Amino acid sequence: MSFTTFMFYFFEAVAALSAVGLAVVRNVFYGALLLVICLLAVAGIYVLAFAEFIAVTQILIYAGGILVVIIFGIMLTTKISQKPLVVEHSYVLSGLLAAGGCFCMLVFVIAKEPFVSFTNSLEPPPVNSVQTLGVTLFSKYMFPFEIAGLLLLIALIGASVLASNIKSKKT
Amino acid sequence: MFPIEHVLFLAALLFSLGLMIIIIKRNTIMILLGIELMLNASNLNLVAFNNLMPEKMDGQIFALFVIIVAVSEAAVGLAIVLQVYQYYQTSIPDSVSDLKE
Amino acid sequence: MQSNISYSLFFEICLLLATTLPLMSFLFSLAIAEKYSWAVSITAPFLLLISALSSLVVFFSVLDEQPYQFAMAWMVVADQTFSAGVFVNVLAATMLLVVTVISFLVHLYSIGYMAGDAGFRKYFAMLGLFTFSMIAIVLANNLLIVFVGWELVGFSSYMLIGHWKEKPEAARAAKKAFVLNRIGDAGFLVGLMILWTHQGSFDISTLDAINGFSEWQTAASLCIFCGVTGKSAQFPLLTWLPDAMEGPTPVSALIHAATMVAAGVYLMIRIFPFFTPTALDVVSIVGIITSLIGALAALGQYDIKKILAYSTISQLGLMVTAIGSATPDAAFIHLFTHAFFKACLFLAAGSIIHSLHHAQHQFHTHFDVQDIRNLGGLRKKLPVVFAVFLLAGSSLAGLPFFSGFLSKDAILTGLVTWAGPDTSWKWLVVMGAFAVTFLTMVYTFRMIWIIFFGSEKKTSGVDLPESPVVMQVPLLILATASLWIIISWNPFINTRWINPALVHSWNVTILSVIWVLVALAVAYRTRNRASQLKIFLHAFYLDHLIEWNIKNVAMKFVGMASRIDKKLIDPFLHGTAYAQVLVAHVTGWFDRALVDGTVNGFTSFVRGVGSVTRSFQDGKIQLYIFWSIFTIIIFLIWTLL
Repeated sequence: MSFTTFMFYFFEAVAALSAVGLAVVRNVFYGALLLVICLLAVAGIYVLAFAEFIAVTQILIYAGGILVVIIFGIMLTTKISQKPLVVEHSYVLSGLLAAGGCFCMLVFVIAKEPFVSFTNSLEPPPVNSVQTLGVTLFSKYMFPFEIAGLLLLIALIGASVLASNIKSKKT
Repeated sequence: MFPIEHVLFLAALLFSLGLMIIIIKRNTIMILLGIELMLNASNLNLVAFNNLMPEKMDGQIFALFVIIVAVSEAAVGLAIVLQVYQYYQTSIPDSVSDLKE
Repeated sequence: MQSNISYSLFFEICLLLATTLPLMSFLFSLAIAEKYSWAVSITAPFLLLISALSSLVVFFSVLDEQPYQFAMAWMVVADQTFSAGVFVNVLAATMLLVVTVISFLVHLYSIGYMAGDAGFRKYFAMLGLFTFSMIAIVLANNLLIVFVGWELVGFSSYMLIGHWKEKPEAARAAKKAFVLNRIGDAGFLVGLMILWTHQGSFDISTLDAINGFSEWQTAASLCIFCGVTGKSAQFPLLTWLPDAMEGPTPVSALIHAATMVAAGVYLMIRIFPFFTPTALDVVSIVGIITSLIGALAALGQYDIKKILAYSTISQLGLMVTAIGSATPDAAFIHLFTHAFFKACLFLAAGSIIHSLHHAQHQFHTHFDVQDIRNLGGLRKKLPVVFAVFLLAGSSLAGLPFFSGFLSKDAILTGLVTWAGPDTSWKWLVVMGAFAVTFLTMVYTFRMIWIIFFGSEKKTSGVDLPESPVVMQVPLLILATASLWIIISWNPFINTRWINPALVHSWNVTILSVIWVLVALAVAYRTRNRASQLKIFLHAFYLDHLIEWNIKNVAMKFVGMASRIDKKLIDPFLHGTAYAQVLVAHVTGWFDRALVDGTVNGFTSFVRGVGSVTRSFQDGKIQLYIFWSIFTIIIFLIWTLL
């Protein structure tokens, strides 16, 4: 087993275990930290799958952005309601049923279809991945990119309007 | 090096766990975390399949867009969660059932 | 739809105008605002004038021609088709002319007579409706339409008689006229039913074409005659007519002299071939009884309008007798002439009343202006009215050189021919008719004498104004129309431009001339001897008799009915009620146990299903997600496996 393969299975194990922990854990704050671990592991897998740019974005945005926002949210809500961070579970059976059903279904489908394995492309691809990505993004996917920017702007405005207390203070 | 199926199995596991989190957790922020997990699972799939055609980069670009959408969703979702907290003084989704009848 | 091609469009337009303009007048008078009610006094007579002129055109077009026919399907009930249309022969055209002309003159007269009346608008509206419904009777080609017009006439006459509804007598008279007419109409309706059952058609031309006589025909014609006795005031339903004099006098002229009461006689003439000999015998007897009662009662009256009313009854009786004696043409001629001179007499009487009312108003005296004992010597004060009254009265009395003479002559001739050479009960009828003409002379002379000659009584102190011109013009026209030329050029022989088939007998003519002159002499001799017989004044107590009969018989019936009710119907009803309660209990139990049980079972089942399904949407978002995922998984398993 080469180092790369080892790293791959290591990251997979970390991601799977942290995800399971996320599902089991009752503390919201721990849950957020477990999610960070999971996302970092996934970023590692991205690197091994020759998607360096995505991996970096993943780390920057999820670990650096979204998780910070979520942790802020957790702190703000607990401060308001003065409730413990412990989360109750409900409908456990339903959740297990749905999740198990879904997982079995996906595994069944994946196992049934023969996919080409990564072993064929042992070497990194001849093209520079990041360069190709940038060129494609700004040529072929120019328009969706702009739309995505617009979406971000709208989300920014919407989030700030929703979260602001001006309205409620007035009333 | 490693078979593509293993990546896909991990994605399936993450997706199912995200689904389970959404269903069982009695906290809206945890539900948001579950959604992020599911989005990552789909991203994982996209990146994995991108390697079948490494020249095209379509999969990676889609993964990027998914991340963008996830960011927007997280921001707006958290804002909504905060407002709901202020209004109902609770974070349990079942308590927010004014539209029930 | 069928119509004769030989008639021009102009003719049809004239016919349409003559028919519908009175209706327009009615609608206009109703629609116009109270503020502009003066406009009615222009429009109503104007519309009627056009109507009269149109009917003149119609009359001259139809004369010596084939009858004009027009019919179309009116309604279909089950598989029976009822048609509606017009059938204009010479008879109908003449009658149309009479109705529209007299209606026009009465409209004209009413402008003066009714000036300042509060119900001016309503009055003219009802006159229009009345004229229209009368025209409907005259022109209709089937008895169903006739019946509709018949009822409309009854209604509008009710409204007109009760025009001064604040007067209790007027209201009562209107009610009485209506009710007595209804009695007759019930008979008419029964007749129509018999007719429909046996013939399946109301068409007048079909009825006239029936050959042979059968039992049902006698029954149907007698039933229709029952309707005629109501409308034409025949024995025993005649008492409404004198009471109906409570209405405005022009109305009396229009309704109770010229048109409405003529409707019955006209109808009989129109469907004359339908009447069986048996029915005709009954008709003639009823007619002569009516005629005698009317003439004798007229002799005993003091109210000027009542004299005229009873005289009308008498003349109508004479017409009906003529129909009974199988000479409908003579009856029609008398109807025609009578319409003019009687309308003239009524309008003249109205003029007297009008003038006296104004005079009373001016001189603040009060007496009953309609009572002829209060009048006298008016010929100097009201010369125009006197002249008119004299002319029309002479015509009524049947003096030679007047139209009344010719028509009565025709009737008497017909009667004598009908009675035949053998002695039978028919000669009694003939003698009755002669007696009636005698009496007519007597009461007419007495009336004219008391009103216009002799010394003035209560009117001596007052200054009488003549009537306005709008009232005098109709009077003069009608007085002219009561001369002999309206019928024929020869004052003694009917040249019969209306009905050329009439038999003429010089014997009868000479006899009637002599008879009338004798009557005149007798009348002059007895002019100051007023009839003191109470029985005449009260018209043989017919009214009281009817009332008494109704009271006694009806009360007896009511008592009997109440006894039957108590002894038979009540126990039966109670038994039925108990049985029903029992059944109700049983069904109630059945209802609760079975029907309600089933229904409740269903509801609880539905409620269960509802609560189960509702549990899916109880606001728990995570359960929603679970269920949707679950469904998707099931769906995927279904498709993939």
